[in-house]
Amino acid sequence: MSAVNYEKEVEAIRTAIRFNRWAAFYSLYRREMKRFFKVIFQTIFTPFINSTLYLLIFGVSLGASIRLDSGLSYLSFLIPGLVMMGVLNNAFQNTSSSVTSGKFSGDLEDLKVVPLNSTMIIWALSVAGLTRGLIVGLITYTVVEVFLYVTEGAFLPVAHPFWLLYFLVVGGLAFSKLGIAIAFWAKSFEHVSGVGSFVLLPLIYLGGVFFSTRGLHPFWQKVSEFNPVLYFINGVRYGMLGISDVNVLTAAWISFGALAVLYVLGLYALKYGSYSRW
Amino acid sequence: MGVAPIEISDLVKDYGRFRAVDHVSFRMAPGEVLGLLGPNGAGKTTIISTMVTLEKPTEGTVKIFGLDVTQEPERTKMLTGYVPQELIHHGFFSVEEIMEFHSGYFGRLKNRDRIDWLLQRLGLWDHRKKKVKQLSGGMKRRLLIAKALVHEPKLLLLDEPTAGVDIELRESLWKFVEELRAGGMSILLTTHYIEEAENLCDRIGILQKGRLLLMGPTRELVKDLTEREIVVRMRDELPKNIASPFLLKHDRVEAVFRVPSAMGVGELLAEVGINLDAVNDLTVREGSLEEAMRRVLNQRRPSA
Repeated sequence: MSAVNYEKEVEAIRTAIRFNRWAAFYSLYRREMKRFFKVIFQTIFTPFINSTLYLLIFGVSLGASIRLDSGLSYLSFLIPGLVMMGVLNNAFQNTSSSVTSGKFSGDLEDLKVVPLNSTMIIWALSVAGLTRGLIVGLITYTVVEVFLYVTEGAFLPVAHPFWLLYFLVVGGLAFSKLGIAIAFWAKSFEHVSGVGSFVLLPLIYLGGVFFSTRGLHPFWQKVSEFNPVLYFINGVRYGMLGISDVNVLTAAWISFGALAVLYVLGLYALKYGSYSRW
Repeated sequence: MGVAPIEISDLVKDYGRFRAVDHVSFRMAPGEVLGLLGPNGAGKTTIISTMVTLEKPTEGTVKIFGLDVTQEPERTKMLTGYVPQELIHHGFFSVEEIMEFHSGYFGRLKNRDRIDWLLQRLGLWDHRKKKVKQLSGGMKRRLLIAKALVHEPKLLLLDEPTAGVDIELRESLWKFVEELRAGGMSILLTTHYIEEAENLCDRIGILQKGRLLLMGPTRELVKDLTEREIVVRMRDELPKNIASPFLLKHDRVEAVFRVPSAMGVGELLAEVGINLDAVNDLTVREGSLEEAMRRVLNQRRPSA
């Protein structure tokens, strides 16, 4: 075959290939959704029980003896933090457990041999992580509204719905991508659970879920400003209650910056991390 | 002749200081079944892994139907079906779900007919609702093959397709590979089973320590590299003072010769002066690919 004919034939093969990227993206997203619905007790009901316990212990029991400067009840103050904690935790857990269980069973390599590229994989996984986070967040929110109605006789209206949605989506996506990055880098389940327990949990707990950083010593207030989770949680608090320890625009930019950094980190992990079986 | 389904040029793959593939080049013809043989660690799986981007070549190029796998991976993956060596569990999903997801990854959401046909053809139809972890090893192996074919690839890569599979299933898989070949699919397989390579492959390549020692048509390779054993049993007695460089042993009525595979029985009998009418029985044992392979591996053992 002459070089010209060869090139023509290769070009014919190239142009005959039809790949529907959206269908591929949707398939991976659907798989991720089905995956966490198959273990709904672990993925949805357990976080729901956790949130309910936090509400009972901190909001209802201890909350009665806590007075806040803003005049809000402690239970109301607690709601945004609990909702966001549910979103962040579950977004992280969904993507990290999907990748690590894929490494364990061996099917993560499937993603490497199919035509899905890194961008499609990272978005499909993280949108599914966000979806799970939002479902848990919504359940938590519904439960606390009922609590509020029972204990205080009124529902809590949402102060700034746009900001609320913005911070929930940006935070959920950011933690989903963090889960992907950690899990692709991890060489065992312990790596992922270690990061969860020793890094994320302290960041979330110290990010102002249960308290306002304004009450802290100025030194610790300064330290808190380096915790990105502080901005996610205060952004959601501003969206729900209209109050925040930090300026909402600053929180919005820092949250978006954190998402951008974690996206790049996730892409890097997909490119250079391991798909291999444990 | 069309564009080669696989064209590998000077492929090198290093893992740190260890060279797993050492300047391997070969070209596959459209519609052929090509086998890669070699002992463990010869580099067979690494070569296949570079074709599906599981491994990145250190040097050299790998082209699938003329398209470079590192430059146009999306397209080359659409053309390729890959069956890995190791079995996969797939967590909580059923056979049917796995097939649907895998089809979707190739952009095919409505692919029911193809999925059903594959499940039926590979004997998985009755197990389609079962979770993958409930399947036997053989069924899991068949599921891997079904997955690899769900997007109707033009090239199929089978990495040890019958490892740990019972004889019955092995034979049914061979039959299926023959069917695929008849349908025009090009197939590359790696195997430890010489019988498999002999039965299925038009050509074979022998690898050792990352180097491609030899590649050629299976039958020619066997013919060139093996000897046949011919046992001649006379009606009466062998000629007195029978002598031949091919004579292995003899008694009064029976002689055993070892001749090159290209040498005919008539040629041998004429050379040793035996008249065919005086022969009571003749047994010919042809050389095998295993012998050929052993000879290649022993003669061309590369320096470490």
